[in-house]
Amino acid sequence: MKAKSKFRFTRKALAYPYMLFLLIFVVVPLVIILINAFLTDDNSFTLNNFVEFFSDNGGGLTVLGNSLLIGVVTTVICLAIGYPVAYFLAKYHASNKVLVLFFIMPMWVNFLMRTLSTKAIFLALDVELGMGTVLFGMVYNYLPYMILPLHTTLVSIDHSFIEASEDLGADKFTVMTKTIIPLSLPGIMSGITMTFIPAISTFAISEVLSSSKIFLFGDAINMHFSKTTNSFGVGSVMSLVMLVLVIVCNVITNMTSKDEGVKSAL
Amino acid sequence: MKKLSIALCILMIAVFLFTLVGCDRPQEPDTLVVYNWADYIYDYEDDFKAYYKGITGKDIEITYVTFDTNETMLTKITKGDSNVDVVCPSEYAIQKLIEMDYLIPLNYFDESKYTKGMTTKGYVHNANNVDKNIVDKIQQTFGDIGGKNMLDYMVPYMYGTLGVLYNKYQFMELGIYDKDIMNQANWGLLFNDNGKGQLLHEELTGQILMKDSIRDTYAVTLFYLLETGKLNGLRDADGNLYTDLSANQLINSVDDNLLEIVKQTLTQQKQQLFGYEVDFGKDDLLKGNAMVDLAWSGDALYAVEESWNDNLGEEGDYELSYYVPHGAGNIWFDGWVIPKTYNPAHEEAIKLFINFLNSPTSAAANMMEIGYSSAVAPDKILADNDAKSILAEVYCVNAPEYLDKATLDAIEADNGFDYDCWEDFEEEFFFYCDEIDGTNWRYPLESDFANAENRDVSTFGVMRDFGAKNKDVVTMWNYVRSAGVNALPMFLWMVLAVAVVVGGAYFVHFLVERGRFKQIVNNKKQ
Repeated sequence: MKAKSKFRFTRKALAYPYMLFLLIFVVVPLVIILINAFLTDDNSFTLNNFVEFFSDNGGGLTVLGNSLLIGVVTTVICLAIGYPVAYFLAKYHASNKVLVLFFIMPMWVNFLMRTLSTKAIFLALDVELGMGTVLFGMVYNYLPYMILPLHTTLVSIDHSFIEASEDLGADKFTVMTKTIIPLSLPGIMSGITMTFIPAISTFAISEVLSSSKIFLFGDAINMHFSKTTNSFGVGSVMSLVMLVLVIVCNVITNMTSKDEGVKSAL
Repeated sequence: MKKLSIALCILMIAVFLFTLVGCDRPQEPDTLVVYNWADYIYDYEDDFKAYYKGITGKDIEITYVTFDTNETMLTKITKGDSNVDVVCPSEYAIQKLIEMDYLIPLNYFDESKYTKGMTTKGYVHNANNVDKNIVDKIQQTFGDIGGKNMLDYMVPYMYGTLGVLYNKYQFMELGIYDKDIMNQANWGLLFNDNGKGQLLHEELTGQILMKDSIRDTYAVTLFYLLETGKLNGLRDADGNLYTDLSANQLINSVDDNLLEIVKQTLTQQKQQLFGYEVDFGKDDLLKGNAMVDLAWSGDALYAVEESWNDNLGEEGDYELSYYVPHGAGNIWFDGWVIPKTYNPAHEEAIKLFINFLNSPTSAAANMMEIGYSSAVAPDKILADNDAKSILAEVYCVNAPEYLDKATLDAIEADNGFDYDCWEDFEEEFFFYCDEIDGTNWRYPLESDFANAENRDVSTFGVMRDFGAKNKDVVTMWNYVRSAGVNALPMFLWMVLAVAVVVGGAYFVHFLVERGRFKQIVNNKKQ
């Protein structure tokens, strides 16, 4: 028989449908956004969309700044709460798998439902909706994404490292700062990425928990696409800015955890 | 092996062809694609099918697609690949569609075509049923769009006012449920302003909901500024005093000067707000999270009807109420249009569909279902016995002249009659007037028919599209929405966050120092 270039059903072929899916629903839309960012309403080339966004006459940059700040604050609080929690969970991992379950359980409930019920609780307690409640909601929602990677890294730290540093005369504090924290750095980085990126792009949480009073970058993008018909260009520029931010975050994460076991989960 | 596969192939092709032949039935039903707002029609399908069959003798299949904002609809029609036959946008969206040349004129109803076996009465050009007030208002606002007349392109469907939905009982507690106080405050109700530049009530702060909709917010702010004298002495680009403009002219004024004032007013208003709502407004009012909400009449009527509470008053009462501020106001319409992308084969169905919806019976059924006011004139509804019997049945009226014996018995056995006779119902439904507002919410316009306190149609403005200014308005709105989140409180939060981190670190440090870990580990090892 002659050798023909024939379609052979290999294991690789199982991935083709998803590749096709990615191409149609991820790559193509991204290209469309990119093209839209350079178009006016009547489809001619322009750079005005960028000028309009970066000149900040509509507060677009301010909104971005606010979102970034809120993202940073959320991430810092998540880290501050999440690290000790992950540490103890890892410490008592063997005896207490149920505890870990408790921290994952909120993720089983749809996040919109969680947020709506958080709102109901705040209102029942007569707490005024605003920045405080939004931050609470953010931390509440993204905390598991911080704890999980930290937990995974901390559990996988070889206990002999700790013993070794103790043998070499390190006290408990030094063991913490010189051994455990550096070894868990990949987990910290991936936890930060997994918290920070959704936190800067969220809009549902801020909408629900502040009754739309707090307006974040996600809201602004949403407004440019769904509330008007002729500012797709600026909306696309904003989406691109967001995309660049995400890429930057990922590059930084991957750089820090280059030789480590855990890479960015994103 | 090879023969077998060939045989299989042939078999499959045969089956396929056979199926195709089987599908090719002689009586394909006609089809129609309707593109409408969500929840904006009654359960019309069976009625329309019967109506269509009665006139054409054919069956029809309807594909019903919905949208939630005019902008979504505009994007779909202008940029998408939609194949819808008939659409129901709001007036300014229709203006845009006409400007961009996306609609075909209706100029419809060749009477002779539809008279076969039917009397002409009742279905030929039901657009004649539309309230004269509405037709005039559209003519006045949109008379000429680049040489085109809007009325040639649309048939009005529903209309409504913009007003204030509020919690009556909370207003009573605050002592502001009073005709004089509310008439003085007017649009100030949404700005916590008693109309004289002072707070209406301290406890109203943080209890006000606005709509997450720039058009409505802009209109309301202009009215408020006008009422409180903040536009006094200011002139528009043509040198006219804003205070001299009619409601229609004012609502359609967009210039930089005005945008700046509106921006400042709305930024200040944020301190009084509970928030901006899209569709949670009614719930927040009923749960007591907020007391006041900017609302469209139909939504408001629906919310008021839902708010019945047996524990209020002597024998139960509606907890919510609606108020259309006196002075200048906004009125809007939705209407049916045909986009250029329609399927010409569906033309007959489209026209009959529009016609069907403008019959008094459909109008009555629609008003029951969705709360907004049908553009069909009320006297046309009152002149139609079928429409009356629909109303009588829904509202449980003891009206033997319009309902048959079986229906009457069913109503009586169910919950009893709410109205003893048709006249009682008619009085309540068409001549009802709210004690504070003084108007009939369903029929707010002054005409020979409606009650004496109703408003003159000229006090209501119809809002055109912002046009070239659209971008500036969006920019303004973006600014307003993002205002209030400033760096200082954020800085405080940062300090707090750092404090939490340091505190957490110290806590861990403390535990480590105490050697508690060591003990636990040791205990475990033993």
